[in-house]
Amino acid sequence: MASIQNKKRHQTPRTGGRLPPGLGLLLPTLLPFGLLVMAVILPGFMFESDQTASTIGLGPAAWPEAILRAMAVFCVLWIARDVWVLGAAGRQPTLSFPVEDDHYHFGKAIVGLLLIIAYGWSLPLFGFAVTTTIFIGIWCLFGGLRNLMVVVPVAVIGTIALLWLFMGLALMPLPRGQGIFDNFSIWLLRATGIY
Amino acid sequence: MAALDLLGGGFLAAFQFWYFMTIVTGLLVGVVAGALPGISFVNAMAMALPFTYVMEPTQSMLFLGGIYVGGVFGGSISAILINVPGTPASLPATWDGYPMTKRGEAKRALTIAVTASAVGGLVSALVLTFLSAPFASFALKFSQPEFFAATLLGLVSVIAIAKDQPVITMVSLLLGIAVGTVGVDPLYGQARFSFGVPEMESGVRFVVVMIGLFAIGEVVDLLATDRDLRPKKTGGKAIGAGFRDILNVKGAIARGTGIGCLIGMIPGAGATPGAVIAYGIEKQVSKRGKEFGTGVEEGLAAPESAKNATTGAAMVPLLTLGIPGSAATAIMLAAMMLHGVSPGPLLFIMDPSMVYTIFAAMIIANVLMIFAGIGVAQLFSTLMRTPPAILAAFIIVLSVVGAFGVRNNIFDVYVCLAFGVLGWGMKRVGFPSAPLVLGVILGPLAERYFLTSMANAKQDWTVFFTRPISATILGLALLFILWSLVPSLRGALRRRH
Repeated sequence: MASIQNKKRHQTPRTGGRLPPGLGLLLPTLLPFGLLVMAVILPGFMFESDQTASTIGLGPAAWPEAILRAMAVFCVLWIARDVWVLGAAGRQPTLSFPVEDDHYHFGKAIVGLLLIIAYGWSLPLFGFAVTTTIFIGIWCLFGGLRNLMVVVPVAVIGTIALLWLFMGLALMPLPRGQGIFDNFSIWLLRATGIY
Repeated sequence: MAALDLLGGGFLAAFQFWYFMTIVTGLLVGVVAGALPGISFVNAMAMALPFTYVMEPTQSMLFLGGIYVGGVFGGSISAILINVPGTPASLPATWDGYPMTKRGEAKRALTIAVTASAVGGLVSALVLTFLSAPFASFALKFSQPEFFAATLLGLVSVIAIAKDQPVITMVSLLLGIAVGTVGVDPLYGQARFSFGVPEMESGVRFVVVMIGLFAIGEVVDLLATDRDLRPKKTGGKAIGAGFRDILNVKGAIARGTGIGCLIGMIPGAGATPGAVIAYGIEKQVSKRGKEFGTGVEEGLAAPESAKNATTGAAMVPLLTLGIPGSAATAIMLAAMMLHGVSPGPLLFIMDPSMVYTIFAAMIIANVLMIFAGIGVAQLFSTLMRTPPAILAAFIIVLSVVGAFGVRNNIFDVYVCLAFGVLGWGMKRVGFPSAPLVLGVILGPLAERYFLTSMANAKQDWTVFFTRPISATILGLALLFILWSLVPSLRGALRRRH
C-alpha cells in the first residue's frame, strides 16, 4: 500500500497545490529532527517541579522514558536514511507532499482550520447554540454556498435539531455560554421545549 | 444437547415482540451512531445506558448488544463512503473501501463489507454460544504477562500496515504510545506530562485523538480540494456486489472471522487490533497483497469480518469471567451491575435463560444487520448528495460534540482540535496517523499490563518468557514482525544485486 502511495508521490516534482517546492521538500525533512528533539527533551518535563517520581519498582517514569528513547532511536534511523538518500541523485526523502488528484488550496485549508479552532474556542463563551449557528453559516458561505435562503435555514434548523438531539434526548450538558449568551441559551432551550 | 435446548428457549424469548423491537431499535441506533463521524458506538452505548434503567436486565442487554453489533459495522459506512472511520476498528475500511468508492464502487464496497461483517458476527455469536464454557477454563490461566503479550501483538501488527516504511510507522506508533502516557500512571498514581494543566492529569482519551486526527483533517481537505463526494456513477448503473463477488472473498472472510474470534476472546484486545491484524495477515496471504490500499476486495472483507467477529467473542470473557474484553463490553458490564446481575460462571447456573436469550439476540442482530446496514448506507448515500460545505459543517459540529461528550469537558474539545491540526499536517506530509491512533488506544493497556506483571514478578522481566501462554503470544508477535519484514528485506537485497 505504502509503496504504491510512494510511487504516486514521487511521480512528478509537483508538491501539493501552491506550496513553494523548496518548502514542500524542507518541511517533511525537518519533521524527524523536530520529533527527535521532542523525544530527547520531554523526559525532563515529565513531572511537575514540586513532584519527585516514585522510586519503588520501575517507577512511573520507566515506561514513558523507554518509549521516548525508542522514538529517538527510530528518529535517528529516519534522519540517517534521509541524509543518505538526499546525497544521491534521483532519490526522494521518506516523506513528501502528495500529488493531488484535484487542485489543493492551501490558503483555504489554513482559513478552514482557523475557523474550526475559533469555533471550539468560542463555544464556552457564546454557548453551543449561538456559536454553532454562526459557524455553520460562515462555513457554508466559505465553502461556496451563496444562497442565503439555503444557508440560514440549514444553520438555524440544523442547530436546533442538534440541540434537541444532544441536550434534549441524550441530556448532554453542552456549553450555554456566559452572561447574556447563557440567558439566551436558557431562553432558547425553554422555547424549544428542551428545558 | 442441553445447550441447543437452552438456545431454542433463548430464540423463543428473543422473538417476543418487545424483545425483538428492542434488538431492532438497538441495531438501528448502533448503525446510525457508528456511521456518523465523531459519534462512535461506544459513545452511543454510554449515552444509551441511562435509557436501560427503565428496562429489565435481559432487555437492557439486548438493547446494548444491538447497538454494539450495529455500531461496529456502522463505522465502516462513513469509512467507505467519506474516508472517515466512525470507530477505530473501521480504520482498515478506509484503506481499501474508500478507494473503491473513489472508483464509483461504493455500493459494491458496502455490500461486501456488510456481508463480511454479518458472516463474522454470526460465526462469532455461534462461538459465543457453544464455546463459552470451555473458554472460561482456558482464560482463567491468563494473567498480566499474557495480557501484555496480547496487547504487544496488537501493537506490532501495525508494522504490517505499512511495511515499506517500518521506521516511520514505528515513530508514529511510539508517538501515539507517548501521547497515551499523558496523565496519572496506572500503578503509582503520579501525573505525567500534565504541564500544570489539571485536565491533563486525567489523560488524553483515544476517542478524542481519533476524532481530531481523522474527522477534522478530512473535512479541511474536503474544503481545500474541489472534491465531489457524491457516489460516482459508472456506466449509468451503480455497481453492487453479486453472489460471485462474495464467493471470491470467501477465503478472506473465513480468515478474518477466525482471527476476529480469537482476538475478540482476549480481554483487552477488541475489534481494533482484530481488524488491523486481519488486514495485515490478509495482505501477506492474498495474491493481490501488493495492491492493498488501492481498493482490493480482500483488503476490505478480511478486517470487516474480523471486527464483527470480535463482538460475540468479546462477550465470552464478559459473561463467563466478568472481564470486559473491550470498552463496549465494559458498558455492558456496567448495565448488568446496575441491574444487580453479576456475570461469571455462576450466571450460567443461576440464570441460563438470560444468558441464552442474549446469545440468541446476538445471532438475530447479526442477521438483521444486513438489512439495517444496507438501509442506513442508502440513507448515508443520500446524505452524500448534500453540498460538501453543509456536510463538512455538520461533521465538524458532530466531531466537536463527540469530543465534548467523552467526559462532558471542553478541554477534550481543545485536545481534539489540536489533534485535528496535527492530523491535517500529518496527512499533508504523508506521515501515517493510523499507528499513532493504535498507540494511543493500546499503549496505556500495554503499560498497565507491563508494570503490573513486573511488580508481581518482583521486577523479573523473564516472567514474559517463562510463562508458556505469554511466551507463545510473544513468539507469535516476533514471527509476525519477521513475516511482515521479509518482503521489504527481499526487495532491498534485490536492489543491491
